[in-house]
Amino acid sequence: MEITLENIIPIPLKENLEKRPSQVWHNKVRFGPDKKVKIKAPSGTGKTTLVHFLYGLRADYTGALHWDVSALNKLDSDKIARYRQSEISVIFQDLRLFAHLTARENIELNRVLQEKAPYYPDTVIQEMAVTLGVDHILDQACGICSYGEQQRIAIIRALVQPFSLLIMDEPFSHLDQENAQKAARLIELECNKRGAGFVLTDLDEDTFFNYNTYLNL
Amino acid sequence: MLNILLKKIIRTGAGRFRYVLAMIGLTVALLLILTAIQLQSNYWQLLKGNGAKDSIANFLVINKVVTNQNAGNTNLTEEDIEDLKKQPFIQAVGVVTPSRFKVAASGGSAMPFYTDMFFESVPDQFLDISGGDWKWDDQTQYIPIVIPNQFLDMYNFGFAKSQNLPQLSHELVKSIPIRIDIQTPSGQKSFYAKVAGFSDRISSILVPQAFMAWANKNFATEPPKGASRVIIRTDDPSNPKLIEYLDSHHMTTDMEKTRFSKYRQIVGFVVQVSGFTGLAMFLFALLIFSLFIELTIASCREEIRLLVTLGASPRQLRRFLMKTFYPANIVIAFVVLVILSILQWLLSGFLAHQSMVISPFISWFTIAGAVIVLVILWWVHVRTIKKQIAGT
Repeated sequence: MEITLENIIPIPLKENLEKRPSQVWHNKVRFGPDKKVKIKAPSGTGKTTLVHFLYGLRADYTGALHWDVSALNKLDSDKIARYRQSEISVIFQDLRLFAHLTARENIELNRVLQEKAPYYPDTVIQEMAVTLGVDHILDQACGICSYGEQQRIAIIRALVQPFSLLIMDEPFSHLDQENAQKAARLIELECNKRGAGFVLTDLDEDTFFNYNTYLNL
Repeated sequence: MLNILLKKIIRTGAGRFRYVLAMIGLTVALLLILTAIQLQSNYWQLLKGNGAKDSIANFLVINKVVTNQNAGNTNLTEEDIEDLKKQPFIQAVGVVTPSRFKVAASGGSAMPFYTDMFFESVPDQFLDISGGDWKWDDQTQYIPIVIPNQFLDMYNFGFAKSQNLPQLSHELVKSIPIRIDIQTPSGQKSFYAKVAGFSDRISSILVPQAFMAWANKNFATEPPKGASRVIIRTDDPSNPKLIEYLDSHHMTTDMEKTRFSKYRQIVGFVVQVSGFTGLAMFLFALLIFSLFIELTIASCREEIRLLVTLGASPRQLRRFLMKTFYPANIVIAFVVLVILSILQWLLSGFLAHQSMVISPFISWFTIAGAVIVLVILWWVHVRTIKKQIAGT
């Protein structure tokens, strides 16, 4: 899928953002399977707001945001669900796991949510968990896992579904350098496997991926 | 797998006790509503059925009130009869045709008795006698006659007891040939008759209409007299309009028949009370169900939002919630139908001893009623769930 932004400005940040230069706000930007985008965003520039706009969680903006050819705010909820099941995947900064479900159940949920057959068999959960070093907590309730563990669970959850665009909001914020590298390699592998593009937002520069587009928010 | 996970996420624990109460309420409500339908249908079956034993079908014999002023002139005119036929509460009117000749009956050697008597006839559909015996043509050996049950009762329990005579059963009476002597203009003619049946409806001695027409034509010694009595069929003898009509036209009827109207009023009352109570309980059950669904969804609002964020479609969630909440209703309806089937079977067995025939199975109306209730429940569930999911 492709996401295009035209003159998008979040209404709550309008005053602030109109004064400062940005390569995303009040610009024309396109994200798609061919793009490996890094968006560098200092605090307070609307980084998480942008992620929520892209994923369709918020619509308090002016301008036009399209998923493929449809205006996102015109799509009905069942169509949006279909996109989220098979075209667009997300790793939230605030992780958004079900605290009382186990790590495995959280991942499994996203695997079987497809109305079509699941993209991966359930053995993949174990494999990915081993790769990221969280296989020992798979059957533990997420609420009692550390942030680092939860973040890796959220990453695996985003990767067990089909997608052509992956959106990541500070995906490694709770990980040390070594674990972040492992996670980045897994993400890159999964994106390549699907021919998918990604958008990563973060506060600083990084070298986790071979980005082909750099944007300053 | 998805449903197992959804069940863990959308927990229905909140207000479980109230839900169980609502379920019990629905069971009782459904039982009352369907009982009302079944009773009404049983009642219709007894009323409208044309079986030989339709013991409470409503036939009334109507004649003018005999007063000092009109004694000797109590015939119903053509206009009177036409007017009766026009009344909406009267389904059929049959003229009671009197014989216009003198008749005497004697028992022969088997049962020595001799009496002057009379014949009347009514159209066959007003008789509770059916079967091959009840027909006559000029080849028939015996004239079939119908006597009132009361005659035999009077003989068996009054006359025979007091005179030390043997009591007679229905079968025995039917087997005795009776000699009938008719005074014709050309002298006396003899026939043989047999009792073909006993009637509770008409206190008269009845012969088939065909015989009456033939005999009146050939033996009449008197001019046509017109009808002094008619028999009517009505679906509701307790209808105040009927009583009012009869009063205003100076007619009267067998008031004993209104005895049944007492039962009818009781049936009607029971049907109404259980129907309305059931309906009220059903409405409350609906209210509680929708509140329970709202409560469940409201208490899981965050979880449902996250599910939608992850890509669960509202359709998936609606389907899951329907699967969670609806099947209990089908189970309840099924259980209630089974209970009613058992009750109906017992009732039909019990009534069979009272010579009232109702089906041992519950009626299609009852099943249709259950289906309609399920459809209403389904609609309320779908609507509530849709509204609530859209609201998260």
